[in-house]
Amino acid sequence: MKIERLKKLFSPESVAVIGASDSFEKLGYHVMKSLVKGGYRGPIYPVNPRADTIWGIKTYPNIKDIQQEIDLGIVAVPAGMVPSVLHECGEKNVKGVVLITAGYKEIEDFQGEILEQEIKDIAEGYQIPIIGPNTFGFVNLTDRVNASFTYEFSLIKKGGVTLISQSGGFCHLCGFLAMEERLGMAKLMSLGNRVNIDFPEALGYFLKEDKSTRVIALYIEGIDEPRKLFETIKSAGTKKPIIAFKAGKSEKGDSASRFHTGSLAGNYNIWRGALRQSGILEVKSAEELIDTAKVLDICAPIKGPRIAVLSGQAGPGIIAADAMEKEGLRLSRFSSETQDRINTLLPPVAIRTNPVDMGPAWYSPETMLNILEAVLEDSDTDGVIFIAMFASANLELTRRMAMLLHNIEPFKKPVIACFTAPAGVWDEDIEKMDGQKGLAILHTPERAAKAMANLWKANLTMDGNRWRD
Amino acid sequence: MERLILNVDALYLLEKEGFNVLKSRLAKDEDDAVRIASEIGFPVSMKVSSSHVIHKTDIDGVRYPINNPSDAKEAFRELEMNFKTAYPGKDLDGIMVQMPGRGIETIVGVHRDSQFGPVIMFGLGGIFVEAIKDVSFRIIPINKKDARDMIEELSAYRILTSKRQRDMDINLIEDFLVEVSQFITRHSEVKEMDMNPVFVSSAGLYICDARITQEF
Repeated sequence: MKIERLKKLFSPESVAVIGASDSFEKLGYHVMKSLVKGGYRGPIYPVNPRADTIWGIKTYPNIKDIQQEIDLGIVAVPAGMVPSVLHECGEKNVKGVVLITAGYKEIEDFQGEILEQEIKDIAEGYQIPIIGPNTFGFVNLTDRVNASFTYEFSLIKKGGVTLISQSGGFCHLCGFLAMEERLGMAKLMSLGNRVNIDFPEALGYFLKEDKSTRVIALYIEGIDEPRKLFETIKSAGTKKPIIAFKAGKSEKGDSASRFHTGSLAGNYNIWRGALRQSGILEVKSAEELIDTAKVLDICAPIKGPRIAVLSGQAGPGIIAADAMEKEGLRLSRFSSETQDRINTLLPPVAIRTNPVDMGPAWYSPETMLNILEAVLEDSDTDGVIFIAMFASANLELTRRMAMLLHNIEPFKKPVIACFTAPAGVWDEDIEKMDGQKGLAILHTPERAAKAMANLWKANLTMDGNRWRD
Repeated sequence: MERLILNVDALYLLEKEGFNVLKSRLAKDEDDAVRIASEIGFPVSMKVSSSHVIHKTDIDGVRYPINNPSDAKEAFRELEMNFKTAYPGKDLDGIMVQMPGRGIETIVGVHRDSQFGPVIMFGLGGIFVEAIKDVSFRIIPINKKDARDMIEELSAYRILTSKRQRDMDINLIEDFLVEVSQFITRHSEVKEMDMNPVFVSSAGLYICDARITQEF
């Protein structure tokens, strides 16, 4: 598949919507809304023989009636019309297609598979890359192209994480979680039935060609030729971290086999091993995917497993310490110089060794930040988990922290923070700090610990090393 | 066409490929068993050998240790009887007389998956495989780092590195896994294979039993 065509598909300079509509009940309406309200900057050409304008934009009876070049065609017409629409796209030299229409291989009726083969053949004839069929589309947040039927994806923060999913539903789950968690994304897409853009093609493109993608997350249910995926990673030779959520964890082996190996060779068992073999970090939930992707995108790489835990209250700090030790990280042992610095900052009324109870500095975000800086400079500490729980008396904590926080990027160590407060109280400050100056903010001490451990595993893997669970 | 190769035949095939196998021969009768056992040197183990028997322990088909000629004769009779009771009218190839293995029992297997193609499995023998399914898989070919990863991935990994096993060299297993991967790459006719158990100790790594399906 030509890279140039994929570039035009994912970052189109013009878009036609075949099956555009002014009627809320039609997907063509929502696709138009996504493009228009999503802030697409290029020309949009609605195509519908029964309207002069749609969404107030001049509409064409047929894509071939458009004089200008079309990079991307988004097709949302009934299945019966798809073959002729694809031929028209091909004749018009459309560079790529998003085929939203469903009713193909995914349905029980065997007719679906026949129709899909027809689409495949047409696409082959014109060499058109197609996302779909049976997809909600894709969203390119980098260039503000929302080529999907869900406008709200345009509200996701722009960042470096690209999600390549086999399921539209999972994109919706993660997309909305991403908003809640302030995850910055570059692209998200559902490959649908993968008529000619399957995981290897999409992954290869975002690994090698898309500079705005720094972290890749995969959601996989099953692939016909999984080896191709691993070969793509090997041949790409880039160092972008890849994480994967594998659903459909059937342990059922080959029931016909009378061998131990055969009966244990459940599909998921092999997937698990193969993912590790290709340096892909497996995550086990949507939350873990979001947390891990966020930390990989925002934080500096971690060089070792020694973590400092700084907590405004002792309990959550201990929880974080327990959680990360279970994941293969350990509490760092501060150098005497670092410990002296902390001791001058904190009175001896709480535990000042790691995990540090910063309770005595409750009213002083300055002191907390000085402690943070001290441990960031500690040569025996590789990363920091910073925790503060809200209490009425420290209402001002995050506001002042947001003001005072220096850029921690020069320390080249990851810092994951966890601020928990009633809804609405600290939200604005958290939003201001999250993803800024090298700091990632996650929800709970356990999730912070898990994400820190995953950062460590991903960094190890990328350096060609390994980890032990 | 498919062919199932078991017991002595499977070990012979693997030995020819350069793998270490426990010295084993098939005894046709009691006297044969005594002669082979004396050649190998007592103590030996004795096992039912027949294409009908998938799990020898299911029919009480293993005797160990056999320390002298009269025990060997008795074991032969018992094992033959056990087989005939379990599989009336079926053929017994003979009784396998084998040098005993020592060390940790591991299992190494190969399977051809419809999507992934050839995959290799590693696990610890006995209950670790049977009961808690503590095994790791990789797609073939694997390198030494993959092999190491497969070993470390096991929940039972600590058993391999415990003090009692201090003299055991995990390198042996790594090399073995890589060699099995290479063997499968060379032999596309090998469809499925269990090597179970494979003994690992400071004395080395030895395949004790194996089962291979070839497809031509």
